[in-house]
Formats: sequence, C-alpha cells, structure tokens
Amino acid sequence: MENQESIIKIDHVSFKYKGSTEGLLSDVSLSFTKGETVLLCGASGCGKTTILRLINGLIPHYYSGDLTGNVIVAENNIRETELYKLAGVVGTVFQNPRSQFFSVDTDGEIVFGPENIGLSPKEIVKRKNLAVSEMKIEKLLNRSLFELSGGEKQKIACASVSALLPGIILLDEPSSNLDWNAISDLRDSIRRWKEEGKTIIISEHRLWYVKDLIDRVLYLSDGAVKKEWRGEEFRTLSESEVAELKLRPISLEEKYIDAFTDEKGQITSKQMPAREKPKRNGNLTQASDIGEKVILSEFCFSYDKKHSGRRLRKCIQNGITGECDGLQLCIPNLILPAGKVVGVIGRNGTGKSTFLRCVCGLEKRCPGKIEVDGKQYAGKERLKITYMVMQDVNHQLFTDSVKAEVMLSMEEDDEKRCDEILDRLGLLPFKDKHPMALSGGQKQRVAIASAMAAGAKILLFDEPTSGLDYAHMKQVGDMLKKLAKSGSTILVSTHDPELLALCCDEVIHIESGKLVG
Amino acid sequence: MHVALDPRTKLYMILVVSMVVLMTATTPFLWGVRIFMTLVPITLLFIEKKYASAIRFLIFYGVALVLTFFFLSEESSGIITAILIGYCGIVVQFMPSMITAWYCVRTTKIDEFMSAMQKLHIPNGIAISLAVVMRFFPTIKEEYGSIRDAMKMRGITFGSGNVLKMVEYRMIPLLFSCVNIGDELSAAAITRGLDGNVKRTSVVELKLHAADILLMLVFTAVLGVFVYCKYFR
Repeated sequence: MENQESIIKIDHVSFKYKGSTEGLLSDVSLSFTKGETVLLCGASGCGKTTILRLINGLIPHYYSGDLTGNVIVAENNIRETELYKLAGVVGTVFQNPRSQFFSVDTDGEIVFGPENIGLSPKEIVKRKNLAVSEMKIEKLLNRSLFELSGGEKQKIACASVSALLPGIILLDEPSSNLDWNAISDLRDSIRRWKEEGKTIIISEHRLWYVKDLIDRVLYLSDGAVKKEWRGEEFRTLSESEVAELKLRPISLEEKYIDAFTDEKGQITSKQMPAREKPKRNGNLTQASDIGEKVILSEFCFSYDKKHSGRRLRKCIQNGITGECDGLQLCIPNLILPAGKVVGVIGRNGTGKSTFLRCVCGLEKRCPGKIEVDGKQYAGKERLKITYMVMQDVNHQLFTDSVKAEVMLSMEEDDEKRCDEILDRLGLLPFKDKHPMALSGGQKQRVAIASAMAAGAKILLFDEPTSGLDYAHMKQVGDMLKKLAKSGSTILVSTHDPELLALCCDEVIHIESGKLVG
Repeated sequence: MHVALDPRTKLYMILVVSMVVLMTATTPFLWGVRIFMTLVPITLLFIEKKYASAIRFLIFYGVALVLTFFFLSEESSGIITAILIGYCGIVVQFMPSMITAWYCVRTTKIDEFMSAMQKLHIPNGIAISLAVVMRFFPTIKEEYGSIRDAMKMRGITFGSGNVLKMVEYRMIPLLFSCVNIGDELSAAAITRGLDGNVKRTSVVELKLHAADILLMLVFTAVLGVFVYCKYFR
C-alpha cells in the first residue's frame, strides 16, 4: 500500500463545527490510494460525513468551523482551492434525493455540472450521452425530476456526477431512501466506477450491499478512526463482532432479501399464489388464531378521478375475483391482528404509501372501512382512530413546545394525561423544549405522543428507520414493540429487513396495489 | 403544434404585462387590448398542453370580467356586492400578470433560463438567485402538501378557531423544511461547480424564432397603444 500513489491525504486534521458538538474530528490522519474503494462506517455523528466534506471542500468553504491540519486532494490543498475548481476532480452523491437537484428536469440536471465548468456544448452532449447509456437511464430523460421515485432520482444524481468525469467519487449514505431494487442498481453504478479505476469513498450504515466492492473499511467513533480492516478481513467478521461495534449486520439483510427475490433480483409474487385467491385473500393467519382483530375492507383507490364512485365499487365486487386494472390500490379484504406490529413491504412506488394514506383517511375518495373493537369507521372517521408518523417527521410538528404539541391533539387540555403520555415515551425531561431542537428519534416520539393524545388506535409508520444507524434502528424497533404491547395496532411500511426481523409479528406484501403475501 | 418560446420573449412578456396592468383601461378599445393581451398566455398554456391551468385561468378571468361589466356598477351597494367589486377588481386588474408569470415558470427549464440570463448580461448572482426561486416553487408545493396532510391527521383545520394560529402552524414546518432543503441544495450545487469564475456554457442554444419576434412585436404594440392613449391623447 505504501508505495502506491496516494491521491487524498488528510494530515493531522481536527475540526469542530461552529456551535455544535456533533460530527467533530480529532487529529485524524488518513491516506487514500488511487483506485481504491473505501467504506466509512460507525454510528451517526461519528464524523463520517465530516470526512467526506473535508475531501469535497465543503469544509471549510461552505460549512465553517475550527479547522487545523491539512487536506490534500489530487495535489490541491483544499484550504486554498476554490470549490468550483474541485468540481471536475471530486464528485459527491448525497443522502437525500429530494434536495440535491438544481434543475427541475432530468436532462438539465445531468448537464448542469459540465455547463458550470465551462465545457463546450459538443463535449457536454457527448458526456451526457455516455453517462446516460452507462447508467441505462434513457427512459428517464426529458422528465420532470419531481415525478421520479427516490431510486430514479438517485440514478440521475449518479449520472450527473458521472458526467463531470471526476477521479474521486464520494457517496454519503446514498441508500438511505432506496428500496432493495434501487439499491442493487446503485451497487451496479459503484461497481462500474470501480472498474473505471475511480477512487470511491462510501459512508454508509447499510453494509450488505457494498461488502463485496470494498477494499478497505474504516471504523470511526467519536471523531477518530478506531479500527481498520482490509476488505476480505471485514467480510469474515463474525456476527457478534459486528454487533459489538454497533454496526448493522454485514450479511443478514441479504439472507432476508433472498426470501423475497428471484434470480433476477426482482421482488416476486410467485411464492404466494394462494394468497391472491378469493376468501383467503388477506387472511394472514387462520382467523381463529387471532384474538382481537382489525378488519380492513374495500380499500380500493385510484389517483385518477375518473375512477371514483361507480368504478371503485365495481372493482370491489370484481376484486373478489381478483380483477381491478388501472387502480393504484385494490385490497378488498384484509384482517390484521390487533395489538401487533405488521410490516408492509413492497417496491418503491408500488402502493405502500397509497395504502397507508387510504387507511388513515387522507384519501377521502377511498371507500375503505376499518373495523376495530366491533365498531366500523369509514370516510373522515378514519382520521380519528389512526395516525401516521411520516417519513419526514418535521412536517408534523407545529408548535413551540413538546407539551403544546401533545395538548394540541387533545379535545380538552388535560395536563396529567399529557405528562403520563410523555413519561411513557421517555419525553418528560423535554416537556418545555422546542420540538425542532430535539434529535430525529425524539421528534418521532413527539409525533407518537400527539397521536396517543388524540386517541389513535392504529398507528402507521412510513419508513421510520431510513437513514438510521444500528443503535437508533433498534430503538425504533423496541418502541414499536412497546406500543403494540400497550394495545395499539401498528402498521409499518419499510425497506429495512432488519427492522422486520426485529419487531414485526406479521408481514404483508403489496405489489402493484395488490396484496401478494 | 409546438411553439418553444425563447425565455427572453417570456421575460419580455412578463415585463410588458406587468406594466400594462398598472395602467387602468378607460375606453372599450383599451379594454379590448387588455383582454387580448390576457388571452395570449392562456392560448400558449393550451398549446403547451397545460389544459387544467389554462381552463382554470380562463374561467376565473372570464367570470370576473362578466361580473364587472354586466352585474356591477357604481350604483350597486351592499356587503356582498362590495366584496365582489373588490374581488373582481383585483382579478381583472392583476390576473393577467399572474397568468403570464405562471406560464413562464411552468414552461421554462432552468438551464434555458440561465443561458438567457447570460445572454442578457445579467450578473451571475442575480441569475442564480432567480433560478433557485424557480426551482423552489414545486418544492414548496410538495412540502406544503405534506404539511396539510399532517394537519388533517391532527384534525386541525381553518374552521376550528384561531386563524392566526392556523397560519403559524402551517408556516413553521414549511419554513424549517425549506431552509433545510435550501441548505442541502446549495451544498450539492456548489460541489458541482456552480458560482465559479468560469464562464458558464450551455447545451441549449437560444435562438429567436419567428414566433418570438412576432410576440415581441405584438406586446410592444400593446404597450405602445396603452402609453399613447393614456399619456399623449
């Protein structure tokens, strides 16, 4: 390793963000050789992202703080190099597909970088076509970015980094918002870059999909590199060793995925043909096995307004025989066990979110009915007995203190009950804090607290663990189990096999709006 | 039929329409010119296949016009009529510029816009800020949709009590998420070389076509007619 050409050199670097104690680095020295693929792992806030920002120059040019030591990237001293000069040298794929776009259309996004560095239009078109054919994204051209799924957006992000032809590519938790199929596409992109001889640095919590690509692994903790393995050493670490480091498992997920995918990597519905047949449709367990039940019926929906009323009703009748084309959701009958955690799986854009939106009554035109404790709820009443914790929980916190947030949901202010709920979720010490000042997990719990205050019997979670490290994911899993124990019925849509394994009592599988397992 | 207008034409249209809406039409002839001017962007929306918004604008504007001309007069009184006069007055007066702006934002791609700005020798800083504003409209819409859903689930609606609070509850999460997205967006954009000293190039070649020249002439004529009738006669 020593005699090979070193392309990135981080020399005794310490960094502290202005006004924050998270993500700091203390006296880190690293060197990356040309063409190697390196994984950075460790808990949230351990400094992974900070290292990437040092390499792409966002530190110190965009995020300010106290920086000592030197970073040399491809013979540029980062401190003295203007950011735009690094654009053709270092490319970065970020975590959130929603916020890394400057254009509103796909074509414009891919050529955005090359245009900025002033290449000739002819060269730009050549690079764009190359990136497009490499990524096989011809179908995505000439579309609005706002219509694309998370996986498709991430592909465009990779293509637009590719078009700049950087020698170094950084990926900052790129898989957080992706489903299994999109992740395998992402893995293909990384593999291609590796074959092209690019230097790749990946910061990631999900380890299974990169484990075969990496040459070296760095384990960070508290802003310092604590451990280092060569790729093959890392792949042979035992499960208990990995768990001790508080990392997500290296291979469990793949085992789990194998159960759902055929050779082509497509999530298949073949294994459970019996489930699609009438009557048994949706009977997860034999009805007699279930004590308390939550019965969902007539959950059919189409975003196309033409399909309202008559068409939907017709579908419900036909749905029994399995015929309902052109609908985004068609679940005529589903029985769930009450007081249990039910996982909802399926590909991105296949009807999971639509299903959750219909169950909690956000889609008014959906005729679905929910039966809980022998009472039936339809239409707007669904909103009262359900509550969805959204993927971006920031959207559902409105007030200026945790206490006010909970009170807002109560019909009559009841401070004692409020304290009780907060205590149960471990939020009592934060009662007077501003919700936006809390950590992600705490915010999630504030949202749950307000749901409980409103008397919701069914709690829905939309991807509660995307982008979380092992410890936080486990926390969410334990919390879901606790909520179920205290009587709530939980539906959780997820791409996270570990979460399924950790806490779900039942799993339902939605594909093209239909129940397949 | 496909008409891809140059962003410069679109900007010129916005400029003319905004000036004209600030001058009141006093004669039937001027009213005619004004209505004609409003129908141009609506027609363009139809051509771009944005039927829903075109029809919506047409109905809004049409209803306000009909009300103003046939049902409201200076002698009418009563609260409802007063509100109607205010509403129709604003719609008839200012809607044309809103329609034109809507048309431009919905049909201009960001890189087209950037290269148009460059051709007009607008400083980079201003061009980038305006481009970010355009990029943000759909984001705000998306975020606002999620927040509205969240409020529905909590049973908070405008009907239930304090209107000021309701606005606050909507604005706070919206501001927080827009600030976050804006921050991440800037970071992503500058790692790809935005805001450098290099002269930006563009794959979109801007050329003024016959349609552009025709429209510019028409709008110049509209402006000329208004200025002449209002100030020189």
